[in-house]
Amino acid sequence: MSALPAATPARTGWLRDLRRIATFTGKRLIALILTVLVGVYLTILIANMGGQVDDLRMLQIRATVSEQVRADPAFFDMPSEERNELIERQVQLEVERRRLDEPFMVRSIDYLAQGMQLDLGRAEEMHSDSGSREVYQIIVERLPATLLLFGTANLLVFFVSVWAALWLSRRYGSPADRSVIALAPSSAAPGWFYGIFLILIFAFLVPVLPAGGMVDIPPPEDSWAYAASVMRHMVLPVAAMFISSIFISIYSWRTFFLIHSSEDYVEMARAKGLPSSLIERRYILRPTLSPIVTSFALMLIGLWSGAIILEQVFNWPGLGTLLFQAIGYRDTPVIIGSVVIFAYLLALTVFLLDILYAILDPRVRVGIEGDNR
Amino acid sequence: MVEKTLLSVENLQLHYQTRRGIARAVDGVSFDIRANEALVVLGESGCGKSSLAKALLRVLPRNVHRFSGRIMLGETDIMNLGQEAFRRDVQWTRIAMVMQAAMNALNPVVRVGEQVAEPLRVHLGWSRQRSLERVAKTFELVGVSTDFLQRYPFELSGGMRQRVVLAMALVTEPELVILDEPTSALDVLTQASIMNVLKRIKQEQGTSFMLITHDVATSSEIADRVALMYAGQVVEVADAGDFFHQPAHPYSQMLMASVPRLRQEDEPAHIPGQPPDLIDVPEGCRFADRCPSRFQRCDREPEPFRVSARRHVRCWLHAPDATGGGDS
Repeated sequence: MSALPAATPARTGWLRDLRRIATFTGKRLIALILTVLVGVYLTILIANMGGQVDDLRMLQIRATVSEQVRADPAFFDMPSEERNELIERQVQLEVERRRLDEPFMVRSIDYLAQGMQLDLGRAEEMHSDSGSREVYQIIVERLPATLLLFGTANLLVFFVSVWAALWLSRRYGSPADRSVIALAPSSAAPGWFYGIFLILIFAFLVPVLPAGGMVDIPPPEDSWAYAASVMRHMVLPVAAMFISSIFISIYSWRTFFLIHSSEDYVEMARAKGLPSSLIERRYILRPTLSPIVTSFALMLIGLWSGAIILEQVFNWPGLGTLLFQAIGYRDTPVIIGSVVIFAYLLALTVFLLDILYAILDPRVRVGIEGDNR
Repeated sequence: MVEKTLLSVENLQLHYQTRRGIARAVDGVSFDIRANEALVVLGESGCGKSSLAKALLRVLPRNVHRFSGRIMLGETDIMNLGQEAFRRDVQWTRIAMVMQAAMNALNPVVRVGEQVAEPLRVHLGWSRQRSLERVAKTFELVGVSTDFLQRYPFELSGGMRQRVVLAMALVTEPELVILDEPTSALDVLTQASIMNVLKRIKQEQGTSFMLITHDVATSSEIADRVALMYAGQVVEVADAGDFFHQPAHPYSQMLMASVPRLRQEDEPAHIPGQPPDLIDVPEGCRFADRCPSRFQRCDREPEPFRVSARRHVRCWLHAPDATGGGDS
């Protein structure tokens, strides 16, 4: 009792926690890889309709090849039997090149291996802005534009609303609180709706900001001027997204904090006479960090897909526009590629989330290792 | 046991604004607690016991409509202290509390040792090491192994959590500890051992207790004084022996008759009717509707009449000019 405890148990406590987190992380990693594997394989099966698309492909190859051979003047005077033989040979070559002679199940495993290595193949119709037909290139070139725009807007909305909600939860029923509640229905309209009005006002009635695009045409040479131009182009779309989601976001976080600030342990902390900043930090934010981080991560996942209509309205060269075009062209490799990349990013986010949970919430740590009190 | 008054409450009122109207949870309550004394506040659910406790420590909900009266803690008029001064100088340094929902009173993501040490570090400015050493001593006092310092609340059983919460209330060695139903969620053995801890602390450290409960049997173990609450008012306050053996208020008498006893022939009696709604309290005596000794004067509200030096009863039967009507 005399040589007391604080130091030693603290160290063993942390060791125990570290071991738990490591075990937990390993297990989660394996589970997630399996999940991505299954997800991508299912996408391959579905996109190929379980192999039935192969029959269509065969027909298509035959049609294309015969068309080519018949249209080629070099073969005009060839006897039709020879010509048919030639067509057969060409078809055979193409079939072997695409390995359509092998059973679909064998090939599907190969597709899976390629997909998992992010070898997404070539687009059928589309090409990237720099001219590449690699699906991976097409998608990756569009990613920064989307991330920049939606990242800025969503991070802004997230942090402003959490901060404002915490502030409002201390002022329950105040005029500010009531106005936020009253304004919450403004989020019923999507961002692009506000975008149209913003463009009308700030690009046409009072022409101070560009109506669309990502950078001036021609793009400025100087990199600072380039950045400034991009920022000017971002103002309106970011404002549109901000307006359309800020009030509902504040409102829901405010309710969340109000509920959690009536927990018994918060009341206990108040009774203990702790300063309110400490109560807010340690008794409201700390125990609710898991849901806050979850919603933050889900928001990040949402970023990857962009927003089709908003990007169209502001003529923004992002993933939303890309997907819209891919669907228009029925360019399946691009669509499947997006799905694969999305699955990877989702799994990565969930993985990071799991680790964060285990660090943030001691209950999660123990739950996985089993009951070992 | 005759010592100076530690806490003196006069005409305390705590009313809540609700959608249906004003709920008078604490309505004109007066009592004293002396140093090293245990006052048991008895009462049915919803009679305002917990509100009384929260009013003393000023842990008020948002919808307070009226909070008035006089609370003297030693020489300090704590009703007139500003919020910051009250937080710094009274909360947990002089009055501490074990809340009713002790199971949930611990922050789920902070180690219990840290939580119990918190008041020492915040109010007394102690170092982490020194606070944890004191916490370890307090843990031993209430019967918690010091191995638990590093545990999280969910790793503790209900009884252990209750003891940790108790340790949290004792760690700063406050003059008064308010215990709101500290044992009502626990099994009988744990209850008994916690009551023993309380008795020992009272003897060894001279702490005063205000124990809020509906459990007459448990409370009789530690009580020096008893205050019985009914519908937001204290209807009788008396020394424990007097109260348990010769209850004066008709409600006290019926309450004592309702307690089951081991070697008792007749069935425990119950009190017919319901306590009044705190939002819509009747004119006159609040117990009148359920009272067997009701008479004409009960249409007006009685004051707490002084029956003897140590006993006040809020009943017309005990008015100084009463002619002994009724059967007490």
